[in-house]
Amino acid sequence: MTSPRPSPPVGAADLAAGERRRWYLRGSSATVIGGIGLLIVVTLILVAIFAPFLAPYDPTERVGPPFARPSSEHPLGTNDIGQDLLSELIYGTRVSLTVGLVAASVALLIGTTVGILAGFYPRRLGSVLMRFVDIVLILPFLPLLIVLAAYLGRSLMNTVLVIGILIWAGSARVIRSQVLSLTKRDYVVAARAMGASDRHIIWKHILPLTLLLAIGEFVQATAGAILLEASLSYLGLGDPLQKSWGAILYWAQVRGAFLTPAWQWWVLPPGLLIMAAALGFALLGFALEQRVNPRLRQAR
Amino acid sequence: MTNARAMRALQYLLVLVIAVTLNFLLPRFMPGNPLALIAGVDVGLLTLEQRAQLVADAGLDQPLIFQYFAYWGDLLRFDFGYSFRQSRPIVDMIIERLPWTLLITGASLIVSAVIGIVFGAISAWRRGRPSDVGLLSVMIALESLPSFWLGMLLVAIFAVQLGWLPSFGAVTPAGRLEGMDAVLDVVRHAILPVATLSVLSIPGVYLTMRYSTLSVLGEDFIRTARAKGATERRVLFRHVARNALAPVVTVLALRLGYAFGGTVVIETVFSYPGLGRLVFESVSGRDYPVMQAAFLVFTVAVLLANLLADLLYPLLDPRTRAT
Repeated sequence: MTSPRPSPPVGAADLAAGERRRWYLRGSSATVIGGIGLLIVVTLILVAIFAPFLAPYDPTERVGPPFARPSSEHPLGTNDIGQDLLSELIYGTRVSLTVGLVAASVALLIGTTVGILAGFYPRRLGSVLMRFVDIVLILPFLPLLIVLAAYLGRSLMNTVLVIGILIWAGSARVIRSQVLSLTKRDYVVAARAMGASDRHIIWKHILPLTLLLAIGEFVQATAGAILLEASLSYLGLGDPLQKSWGAILYWAQVRGAFLTPAWQWWVLPPGLLIMAAALGFALLGFALEQRVNPRLRQAR
Repeated sequence: MTNARAMRALQYLLVLVIAVTLNFLLPRFMPGNPLALIAGVDVGLLTLEQRAQLVADAGLDQPLIFQYFAYWGDLLRFDFGYSFRQSRPIVDMIIERLPWTLLITGASLIVSAVIGIVFGAISAWRRGRPSDVGLLSVMIALESLPSFWLGMLLVAIFAVQLGWLPSFGAVTPAGRLEGMDAVLDVVRHAILPVATLSVLSIPGVYLTMRYSTLSVLGEDFIRTARAKGATERRVLFRHVARNALAPVVTVLALRLGYAFGGTVVIETVFSYPGLGRLVFESVSGRDYPVMQAAFLVFTVAVLLANLLADLLYPLLDPRTRAT
């Protein structure tokens, strides 16, 4: 029989995937999950780093006939202008992972700042900040992302910024609640009693531990950012010169590849990679969080 | 309680103000010709007189604060402006598209509610057993699925390879179908988009139902019900399900707003003539005023969904009712 637990918060923030996963997966074995996640993430990062050695061709060169079926020369065939699809996928790993990681860093930077301020000054500043967080969470996310991306123009930098400034709010909530509990710990109370300034306490006692606790949050945000980048690029709002997995699918859509047998080698592989990356980062993030923050590791 | 309600109302109002203000400010401060960004016209193709006329029409020669209030005035009269690319008022385009989006989001909400609630309850009832772990893993995998990719695969398999269902649109073009045939035609076109949209929402409903059922199972009144000799069936339906549903309904109402956003990608995959597809078309055609109007409609939809959730919750969970 499960012991009574506090009910999860009800509100728009419930929809943040990371928050939910934390609530529901508590009982599962974090080690196995984390192992699978780590394996996927490390493999993808290695592919991204060694892309020039792994890719059989330069993905920007026309190296075969257009719309070629898979063959020994082109294991996944070629696209509409004769570029090797396997090479595009391998180089696409770089773009998708970079956008995911950098966007998550931007989100974490904003989320940590807001979270620490809101948690450390919970009365006035904190409540104002959290109202703001609620507002960001209610705004229709994907349409706003598209509007911003459309006005800013298509570049990698803009994609990263747009995603980062829209996904921080969920992290800010989680970090705030951690800071709230940190400020009640004995050593912080002691430091305060000895006359330490707010700035000293935040930099010396709150920030390091918060960053440690936020690692899981960061890795999970990466999963979300990778999915969002894929959606944006699929709508043709990605950087035209840096083809990510989502951009490959955009071209597959524009050229009608999913209406021909070409979907098996043009549409299937990029989607599987997006899914693997999102799943890998989500699982790893969940496991890290359980490890770093033993309070979440309650027995069922 | 009334205080909390007032806070919520204020918050929704603020969201609307922020959305409208963003809409107003973005085109005016982004790099590029504001005329192109606001009116969505090819400035290069216009004569100087036409440009001056447009600037005057759009009020761009007025002080910013006047423009802002004029913008609000127009919106409150449901005047979303004029699409120069399409040569028609934007409000007409939205009214034409909205029913299709409502149809597929509504249908997908029902589908995901039924599937999510049933599987969530099963999972919680068999917590820790293989069927629970299996379901949970599938749902977490579904959450990592890029929805548009799933849509592309469904088209490739069910429309192209098997030829069972149409691959695009909401009705058969030029087909003058009557009565039942017309209805069936609409249903056949909606199946794949609805399936894709549902997959997007099922994990959220499932996880909420599973968790909520689990926490209800641990409550004292369940033990009391068992102790007084109620059958398992009676416990499950009378006591557990009724209490577990309240948070799920809230999540569903909130999902409605979320699903509206998902239609942007999914309607693009299926060339479905809804509001989401309109966003895609206006973005790729640089028809900025249309894109902005659609964004506002989505914002209002999200706010209405939140409001609905707030109103429904006390009905379902008497503990939160005002005393």
